[in-house]
Amino acid sequence: MASGTKAANTKVADIKVKRNRWKLFRSNLDMYLLLVPGLAFLLLFKYTPMYGIIIAFQEFNIFTGLSGSEWVGLEQFNKLLHSEEFLQVLINTLLISLYKIVILFPLPIFIALILNEVRRMFFKRAIQTVIYLPHFLSWVIISGLFLNILSPSGGIVNEIIRSFGGAPISFMTDSDMFRSVVVFTAGWKESGWSAIVFIAAIAGIEQEQYEAAAIDGAGRIRQMFSISLPGMLPIIVLMFILRIGNLLEAGTEQILTMYNPLVYATGDVIGTFVYRMGLGQQDYSFSTAVGLFNSLVGFLLIILGNTLSRKFLQRSIW
Amino acid sequence: MKNNQKRKRLQPLLLVLTALLLVLSACSSGGSDGEGNNAPANGNGNGNTAAEGTNANADADKPELKRLSVWQGEDYNTYPVAALLEEKTGYPVKYDMLPQDKWQEKLNLLLGSGEPYDAVTIYADKALYSDFAQKGALVDLMPLIEEYGPNIQAALTPEMMEAVKVNDKLYAIPDAVTYKVNSSILIRTDWLEQVGLEKPTTLEELTAALQAFKEQDPGGNGNKNVPLTIHGNQPMLENIVGAFGMPNAWNEVDGELLPRILDPSYADYVTYVSDLYEQGLLDSEFVANKDATAKEKFSSGQAGAIIVHWADIPALAETLAQTHPDAAFEFIGALTGPSGEAGFSANSGFDRLTFIPKSSNHPEEAIKWINATLEEETFKSLAIGEEGTHYKVEDGAYVPIQPIFTDERNLANNYMSGVTEHYPQYWQARVRKNPVMYEAFSFLNNEQPEEIQITNVLGLSPFMPTYSKNNQQLETMVGDYTIKLIAGAESLDGLEEFRAKYNAAGGEASVNEVNEWYANR
Amino acid sequence: MRSKSAGDYVLDTSIYLMLTLMGVITLLPFANVLSKAVSEEWAIVSGKVGIFPVGFQLDTMKFVVTSSQFLQALWISVLVAVIGTLLSLLLTALTAYPLSKRQLPGIGVIIVLFIFTMMFNGGIIPNYLLIRELGLIDSLGALIYPALISVFNLLVIKSYFETLPESLEESAKLEGAGNLTILFRIILPLSGPVLATIGLFYAVYFWNDYFNPLLYINSTDLRPLPLYLQDIVMNANASSALDRTADQLMNVPAEGVRSATVIASTVPILLVYPYLQKYFIKGVLIGSVKG
Repeated sequence: MASGTKAANTKVADIKVKRNRWKLFRSNLDMYLLLVPGLAFLLLFKYTPMYGIIIAFQEFNIFTGLSGSEWVGLEQFNKLLHSEEFLQVLINTLLISLYKIVILFPLPIFIALILNEVRRMFFKRAIQTVIYLPHFLSWVIISGLFLNILSPSGGIVNEIIRSFGGAPISFMTDSDMFRSVVVFTAGWKESGWSAIVFIAAIAGIEQEQYEAAAIDGAGRIRQMFSISLPGMLPIIVLMFILRIGNLLEAGTEQILTMYNPLVYATGDVIGTFVYRMGLGQQDYSFSTAVGLFNSLVGFLLIILGNTLSRKFLQRSIW
Repeated sequence: MKNNQKRKRLQPLLLVLTALLLVLSACSSGGSDGEGNNAPANGNGNGNTAAEGTNANADADKPELKRLSVWQGEDYNTYPVAALLEEKTGYPVKYDMLPQDKWQEKLNLLLGSGEPYDAVTIYADKALYSDFAQKGALVDLMPLIEEYGPNIQAALTPEMMEAVKVNDKLYAIPDAVTYKVNSSILIRTDWLEQVGLEKPTTLEELTAALQAFKEQDPGGNGNKNVPLTIHGNQPMLENIVGAFGMPNAWNEVDGELLPRILDPSYADYVTYVSDLYEQGLLDSEFVANKDATAKEKFSSGQAGAIIVHWADIPALAETLAQTHPDAAFEFIGALTGPSGEAGFSANSGFDRLTFIPKSSNHPEEAIKWINATLEEETFKSLAIGEEGTHYKVEDGAYVPIQPIFTDERNLANNYMSGVTEHYPQYWQARVRKNPVMYEAFSFLNNEQPEEIQITNVLGLSPFMPTYSKNNQQLETMVGDYTIKLIAGAESLDGLEEFRAKYNAAGGEASVNEVNEWYANR
Repeated sequence: MRSKSAGDYVLDTSIYLMLTLMGVITLLPFANVLSKAVSEEWAIVSGKVGIFPVGFQLDTMKFVVTSSQFLQALWISVLVAVIGTLLSLLLTALTAYPLSKRQLPGIGVIIVLFIFTMMFNGGIIPNYLLIRELGLIDSLGALIYPALISVFNLLVIKSYFETLPESLEESAKLEGAGNLTILFRIILPLSGPVLATIGLFYAVYFWNDYFNPLLYINSTDLRPLPLYLQDIVMNANASSALDRTADQLMNVPAEGVRSATVIASTVPILLVYPYLQKYFIKGVLIGSVKG
């Protein structure tokens, strides 16, 4: 009985909502018109080619096209998931990715926070410009440089270790050190660049808030935590959710230029494994299957991230 | 009133949309305009006056051909050889080039989408070429060559033809390799002098020399001293592998061809090299070395020996001359191993392949054109230019006249589709551009006895599907494993296990296929 | 103005120290490449060049920046980056605004549709066929149109729009302004920092884009810088010399030339950021707009 009334009530509410939604739609037609070019772009350049995903279920022959290629079902996925090294490669991927998220995700936020405290404009601009420089150099150049810096014979890092009486470390060939090297160099190259979006977020915070807080006697550290950080929260949440969507991409290009057979045990990730085995070369079906596997996991993680964030932080992308 | 307001509200939006569309269409027509205008501009504007002159004379019924070639540092259409070929053959040709990186990918897309190229020249990637041929993307050249290509026929030996045939049909015109031996150990002879040793001729002497380099440190490098350096992608050390009877990736063992990993000498080779590593005679950081790192160590005087291609020598020589003006170095000849074996891998087979895709609009004209480029006189001016201008003859050898030879003929090999039998002699003019390089080249290729130049028989093997499919992956597997063995990260106890894995991953099938051909050759 | 407390001094000092340190270590790689670009070749090959040049000379730099291929590629890159950035910024901002109004029906679904394409794509071949179908192969349009909206950038702008106080729009609506007027008169003028950021992101994307030109550009004179650069750098960085012929090895460009090319093709885009920084540093004074 009670539930019946409730159902009836929700039904009424539903109709009301529907009517409201229609009204909302009608009164905001210009908003929807604004969407037209963007949606046209999306449809033409993103969804039209989407049929290519079925290549993952075929043995694709580029000369006969989709219709002339043989269907192989999930064979391409089996080839990936059932290779002997796959488990280790997956673990490496997840570990390196997680380290990168845990250590490197907060770093740019921290940089943005402390840069915001700098009052000398020249210094601020100079630092901002300098720390994003490494982003523009390719991994080939950066790894070549690190090879020298970290070399056990004559590299500056090991010279320092030696001068403190320590034994030199073979950073590049020691499988226990390799992940650390990967995470550190990635942070070095990208933190300054990643900070830009947070710097912009802080710049978007109303100045009045700081003034009001200062009048209330809040110190600068308190202002950082009570104004700057909350002001950045929406962008932090957005960045974080998007970041975990890339969990299975642990830095293929980077690792390819840095690793060697002695560190495969800890450094081989999905991208490098596929490349190294020559599996993806000219094999469109296989590379599409690997891509699809990554995409599926990534998309699910984004949905999960969004749901959790909506529940616990009352913030979400959609 | 209300409508009016709405219209007013929409106005900015419409404006923006129209603006956007205008810009888009302007940009797109700009783009295609550019394309349309660029092609002729390439022929006339960029081409020098000689090209224009011949354009006017060109046979009216000779169509413009489209050729796709490998990457080069200068624009194909404006490099002097293009004009020369147009003048000599009468065919106008529009050249495109593949990128340096990921060229296979790009080629797949271009051919897969039916881009109408009349001739495509690529590096001799037999697997890729066979794949195209098998998928039916290429024109069968034999009938065309028989009808229009006497020069092509003369340039191809029956052996070469067999090696490029796929399913009994000829789909490509190969450029044969021009020299045999690539690399050896380059050693500091001034260091040898200081430690009182001769240039090594056996493995034992090599070990002794490296030990002396380590102990006596003739370069005065202290703890940075490296007796022999290599880079991390060199599991099979040229010359040293030869001393174990495995100069090539596949070698004959009791009448059968075997890959190195299955060769009975493999364990001995690994034991020898890992011993060098353990004693500190081989660069302790070699695994992480890039090509440039190894060269850096040698050219800065930190390393006493390095394994390099002779073409790498000019850069090393120039640098050493600056850092250590007294330094002297030489290649080591074939070292004799414990069981008396010695040898260098000798290249055989091809450098480039030229084919005609099915999407070509003028396959017959393309063959006629290729045939015209192989006319001996034309080919000679293509390869080395004119006597007295680009080269002179000294003691029967072609010597380049610089700088014009480099400016106008350095990239000439990229314009070839097939080569005549005289090409290896013409080609040596390029090596003579640098006397130090020529000396090293000549030491390996002309002065070493023929019997230690051991031909890579697989270079001229026909298309073998299993071998082609698995080769790269298996080579990577073995290379990585060998590096681990040398660096002590794996032990030879696991060799049988690894061999089983290798065989299961396609090794055994490849061995069977290769030997079926080898036995019936 | 409050006088600085002792705590403030400690805070300031540690911040300046940390940032200086960061600045120094991130400057290293660039200093290294720059030094190589202006050093003697022998010094580079023998590994003597660290962060200061050895045997200073400008001939290599001059040789690189006067090469006609470089200048042509530079021109193409500038063209693509300028047109691409302006179009993308406009289209992305226009699309982001309605997406920031999540209370409107259907918007949530549309956002998910956009996000879906961040993770899933059709792959190289269908994209290539589409570009071919549109007649864009070997034209600059192929480098611009497929990249007009980056979903990442779209979400950043959308997220920024969402943080702007509702009250601004409501008061404008009461005065009878339509959504478009609000976007152009109120929202965009307040969005300096985010538009500057996204503009920078687009500019850098178009400047660095390597894969699209690799696939879609065939003519030598339509190649943008990354393709030109990659061809030069790749030439020497192939992982092993094994699969390269003597003819290739004999033509490898000197390392100094490679470094100089890296510098010459990176510096133009680096100049954009300092110029945009004024939008970051000022911060936003919403109150002044409101009033």
